[in-house]
Amino acid sequence: MSIRFLALIPVAAAISLALSAAVDAVALPLFLDTTGTILATALAGPGVGIATGIVTSAVNTLRNPTFWPFVVVQLIVALYAWVAARAGLFRSFRTAIPAGLGLGVIASLTSTPISYLVFGCTTTGGIALTTALGKALGLPPLGACFFGSFVSDFGDKAVTFALVTSVLHGLPRRTAARFPWALRAIGAA
Amino acid sequence: MTGSRLHPFTLLAIAGALPALAWILPAPDGAAATLVVSLVLTLTPGARLGLTGIGASPGWRRRLVVFRMALLTAAPFWLFLLLLHDVPTTIATGLRITTMVATFVWLVAVLEPARLVEAMVAAGWSASIAYLLAATLSAVPVLKARAQRIVEAQRCRGLSPRGGIPARLRALQALALPLVLSALHEVDERALALETRGLVPGIRRTPLAPPHDPAAERAARWALLLVCLFTLVRRLIVQHPS
Repeated sequence: MSIRFLALIPVAAAISLALSAAVDAVALPLFLDTTGTILATALAGPGVGIATGIVTSAVNTLRNPTFWPFVVVQLIVALYAWVAARAGLFRSFRTAIPAGLGLGVIASLTSTPISYLVFGCTTTGGIALTTALGKALGLPPLGACFFGSFVSDFGDKAVTFALVTSVLHGLPRRTAARFPWALRAIGAA
Repeated sequence: MTGSRLHPFTLLAIAGALPALAWILPAPDGAAATLVVSLVLTLTPGARLGLTGIGASPGWRRRLVVFRMALLTAAPFWLFLLLLHDVPTTIATGLRITTMVATFVWLVAVLEPARLVEAMVAAGWSASIAYLLAATLSAVPVLKARAQRIVEAQRCRGLSPRGGIPARLRALQALALPLVLSALHEVDERALALETRGLVPGIRRTPLAPPHDPAAERAARWALLLVCLFTLVRRLIVQHPS
């Protein structure tokens, strides 16, 4: 791994964790905790993305230990983002947002069994409340758990993909050209 | 021996073993036992909320701060569990989650990142891996402070975080984009700094002050691993006798 990629990983992981301040300021029900993973993958490939996801989960675990079992979701996100970058899906919002919605479905399918088996669907307040709503709507326990994860992940991943698209297009070409996947991800190479 | 004086790998082994045992052992008794151990750990000398800066006063009250933090962090889970499950499931899952929360609150209180990095380097781990952990831990508060400055600066320029969802999303973009772009511009500077300091992948570094790792602690770590494996196998055989 090159020195530049090594320097990128902690920066990308810290971006994921620091964006909560921006989310809090606009009071939206978003996490954006995979932004760094998706961005690192779109810039430098799946290896850097996976490493960023693991580091993000490890550091987030020190704040809230329930995050660690969901490290699997970060790995899935990195692999999905790699496929999206290869296909040039970050070229515009028109392609990035549907791709993000697809990731939302996959991420909720991945996180539901972990949340259900390990935590009884009580990982965060928002997810617990939407799970309770799903239960009130008559869904079975696992279905209610998926409903809770889906509601939180679906919009979150679409916004994350849109944000990463904005970043990739906002990068100066000279900076983007230093990362092997950046130009291909936005359909410029 | 106080928690903060134990070798960092021993602290990690305890923090890994207790939640694992909480889930492996039958609930509620097994999880209750692990919870008691984890809560006692939060009361041990050396536990302080160093990363948050809370609990700096010396003595018993300082230990109580870690204990209280563990309980306060775990409390919402009990509420949500009661909302979603019956009482036996709430107790079983609640005890397990509280064990996990208390153990990690204790770990954060006693584990010094700098000692962990030294221990990893001394154990022959790649300096790159040690760097990733230490650099992220130090970069998060810096970027969070920068995010807060950007929020204030954009508000001064008239950015309003109010209104419908589209308006809020536009505001989010105006807040997040400068943060992410400025962080990415730092990557080259960091890479140059790493190269200057000789942190090239594959190079082994010499630790400046490696933490003492007595044989008893090394043996205890292996014992913890074996206990977890033995308990897991026993649980599987007892639950699923062939």
